[in-house]
Parts: sequence; C-alpha cells; structure tokens
Amino acid sequence: MTTAGPADPAAPPEPIAAPPGSSSRPHAAGSYRDPAPVRDPASYRDPASYRDPSGFVFWRDGQPYRQIARRFAASWDAFESSPLSRTLMERGWLVRHEAAPVELAQGTTAHRVIRPERIDFLSYPYEWTFGQLRDAALLTLDIQGLALEHGFTLRDASAYNIQFRDGRPIHIDTLSFEPTEPGRPWIAYRQFCEHFLAPLTLMAKRDVRLAALLRDNLDGVPLDLASRLLPASSRLNLGLATHVHLHARAQRRYADRPVEAQQRVRSARPVNQAALLDSLRRTIAGLRWAPAGTEWADYDDRTSYSADATADKEALVARFIAATEGRRVWDLGANTGHYSRIAADAGRQVIAFDIDPAAAERLYRTVRADGRTDILPLVMDLANPSPALGWAGAERRSLAERADADSLLALALVHHLAIGRNVPLGEIGRWFARLGRQLVIEFVPKEDEMAQRLLATREDVFDDYSIEGFRAAFGESWTIIDEAPIRGTQRVLFSLRRRDA
Amino acid sequence: MHPVLAYIDAGSGSLIIQAVIATIVAIPFFFRSQIGRAVRFVRGRSAGESSTSTADDNSRAS
Repeated sequence: MTTAGPADPAAPPEPIAAPPGSSSRPHAAGSYRDPAPVRDPASYRDPASYRDPSGFVFWRDGQPYRQIARRFAASWDAFESSPLSRTLMERGWLVRHEAAPVELAQGTTAHRVIRPERIDFLSYPYEWTFGQLRDAALLTLDIQGLALEHGFTLRDASAYNIQFRDGRPIHIDTLSFEPTEPGRPWIAYRQFCEHFLAPLTLMAKRDVRLAALLRDNLDGVPLDLASRLLPASSRLNLGLATHVHLHARAQRRYADRPVEAQQRVRSARPVNQAALLDSLRRTIAGLRWAPAGTEWADYDDRTSYSADATADKEALVARFIAATEGRRVWDLGANTGHYSRIAADAGRQVIAFDIDPAAAERLYRTVRADGRTDILPLVMDLANPSPALGWAGAERRSLAERADADSLLALALVHHLAIGRNVPLGEIGRWFARLGRQLVIEFVPKEDEMAQRLLATREDVFDDYSIEGFRAAFGESWTIIDEAPIRGTQRVLFSLRRRDA
Repeated sequence: MHPVLAYIDAGSGSLIIQAVIATIVAIPFFFRSQIGRAVRFVRGRSAGESSTSTADDNSRAS
C-alpha cells in the first residue's frame, strides 16, 4: 500500500492520513510504511491496541493511558458509575484506574482518558501453562457472571485481556464492558471458545504441546481444527459436544450467511445466559491435566548432586543473588523453580522460564498453593524464544523486546543450549546480554554427568566447550564479578556484569 | 435498548447455535439447581437456624 503519486516516482512519500490535530503526534500504529515503530519515548499509541474503535491504549512517559472514544461515552459512563466497576476492582479481577486529564487525549474524539495500573511484565497465552490458561478462562467466566448480575456483559473474551499480576490472573481491559439486557446472546461466546476452551481441551484431551497452536492463531484456535484434532471420546462430554463440536458445525454451516450484527443480536431467541455460563464453567473446571510424562516432570536437578553439593550451590546462589542490584530476576531454565524460590526469598520478583510445560505447571501450582506473589512461571524455549507477532509484527512483542530484567539466573542451562542445541557459547553470552545486565550462571563442564548424558547420543563436535572457552566467549559481553566452584562437583558458579552496565 | 458496539466477529453460526446450546445445557442446569434447592431445604430443616447461607459454588480459591 502506497500513497505516493503514480506520475512522479521521485515525489516524497506523503504521510498516511493523520487525524486532525495530530501533527505533533509521534508515529502511531497506523502507518503502513514503517512496520518497525519509531517510538517517541515520551508518547506513542500501543501497537496492540487498534481493534476496538471504542478506545485505545497509549503510553506517555512510561505510563499506560486508555483513551475512551465519544462513541463509547454512554456505555463507559454507565460502567464507570456502576457498582460492578467497583466490585471488580475490589476483588482484584480488573486493574484499577484513575481519571486522567482529558487534555492528554490524542486526536479530537476523546470522551475521557484514564490511567490504568501498570502491569510490570506482559505475558502472552502461548507462554502460559495449562493451569494459567485455565485460571484465566475461569476468571473471564467469573467476570462475565458478575457483569450479567449487574446488567452488563463482556464485549470481548480475548485471552490477551488477561495478565498475571502478583502471580494471579487479572483483566486489564477496562473498556470491555457494556450494558446488556437479559436474554441477549453473548457476542464474545465464539471468542471465548476459541481463545480458551479449544486450546485447553486440546491440551487436556490430546497433548499439552498443542498450546503451541495459540502462537500461530492469535485470534484463537479455530473450532473446526479443534474438533478435528480432539479424540472421538470428547463427543461424550456434553460441554465439549456442544461448545466445541456442535459449535464448529454451526460455524461451517452458517459461514456464508451474513446477518447484520445489530439485527441478529436483537432478533435472536432469548439465550439462557446463566445456563450457558454454568456449562462453560463446568466444562473448563472438568478439564484436567497432570504434569507428568514430559521432558523434566520427574527430573529434579538436585538429583545429580549430593546433598552436600546442593547445599553449597544453594548458598552460593543466594550469596551471588544478594550481591546483585535491582528487584527483577529472570530465572532462565528454572525447571520446577527451586532456585527461583531462593531468589524470591531474597526479595526479588522472579519470572521463571522453562521449556517444559510440566515443570512450569508444577511450579505454578505450588506458587498458587503457597500464596506466593513473587514468582511467575512461564513456558519458554530459550533456543526459540517468543517472536514478535501479529499486525506489522508489533502487536505481540518478542521476549527480547520485553526484557527488563535486572539480573538473569542461568543454572544448569548452558550445556543444554551449547551441547543440546548446538548454540556457540559466544552467541549465548551475546543473547543473554540483550536480556539483562547482571548474570548468575553455572558452567557445567563436559566431564559432568549431565553433560555426558547429552553427549552420549551425539558426536562431540564441541571443541570450544570448556571452562576456558566459556571465559573467553562470555568475556566479549561480560566481566566476572565473582566465581566459586560448587563443592563436590566440577561445576563453577559465576557472577557476571555486562560490560556496558 | 442499549446499542451493541460489537467490534469482534461474533460469527453467524456462533450466535445462532448459542441459543440452541444454551437450551440444551439448560436442562441439566435446571435439574441441578432444583436438586441444590431441595438439598438446601432439607439441610436447612435439619440444621435449624445454625446454618447460614453457604458460599455459592462459584467461589474459587483466589
């Protein structure tokens, strides 16, 4: 798409139609010419916020703001003054917000501007464990149930409207509510089934790794695909037979029969929303997945150590972490989070990444059971981290774009990347340097039993993989602050600082 | 009558089948709520005034 005149190829490109009064506005998400957002550090529109004409999110000095359009004024005022809005915030189901000066608005169509509470780290549904996606789904249903009691409804049921704050799911889209009347169909029913029910069912009934479908289907897993992939036995479950299989058939059947939206919503037969919601809740609550049988579920890193070595490693990690600055720690290859807990106990806010959905799920369950708010487990293949996705490649940010860690923890990880995935040590060091400025890292030499296991099934082509090679490779980006051998092993723990930090 | 500000595609099939599905699942929903009422009624009579309203089954640990 180009707006340049056809007659004069040398003509300077015209700007894409900018809204009136926006000449001083920085590059917004609307430009087609420059998919890499040129962001005014002071103020820019969130590239993920373009779908809903009722409003959008913009950032100003690192703070999120939400602009409410005039067309949504009646619904917003009704919601804002309703007890529903207060109850949702009191229960911690919806992010809190405060009024902001409407002068901050971009363009001329603003009704209000609000400043919602900022969520530190945005995670995406394709990074969540089964239990996290399930809790997010149940929260969405809880919110819809409460909304209906107050004469409101959720206009959307996107999984991207849920974030994890202090370890718990919370709804972040304050503009999702509008007044409704009893018996009206739920506009977001399809979206709920595609964002939550379909992936959860596939994970529980077919294979937990099918969560990966969410990464490719940002609008949710198509129901016809879910219906095809599910085992036949899923048709015996009333909830799945209706919300997935029958629903998918109906979508196919009516796909080419457009009905004007307002009309079809109003003329449809009254829908028993209480029964529908109850059925969705029971169906999702009935989905179970036990974290076992995948890569590391029964693997505990400590089993490769003696008790003595474990105690020494714990003490060293605690000491090195205590010496780092800042609160935000990313535990890379966290497994079931033994060392994430040590970092959290030292007052750090930890995001615990692991490639294995079972290990991350186990950590999520224990974190929830213990009522911890300082550890967020996420599923992540560090050799293939979340890319930038969606419209203009800017809607869902890559892991590196979201990197804000003060410190990284990489324990019993480097041999998996270097030997298991053939990543050269220098590459690992450079990539870690993009994620954080301090690094507590364990070097596992080839002679180590766990490294030997990796080498047992492949040719040893890793000539540079040695402690000397590690020092040289990581020395490009990092300086050594401290180091100590782990007693009873040949492993060494390093505390590093990025050269420019 | 409130306007519907739908910006997502609700899907023709999803809207049409929603009413049908809600009707189907309303049958067990109705019986469960009747059983629940009966149980509460019986319990209420046997427990006297000691039992107050029990938490609804929506309460999740959170």
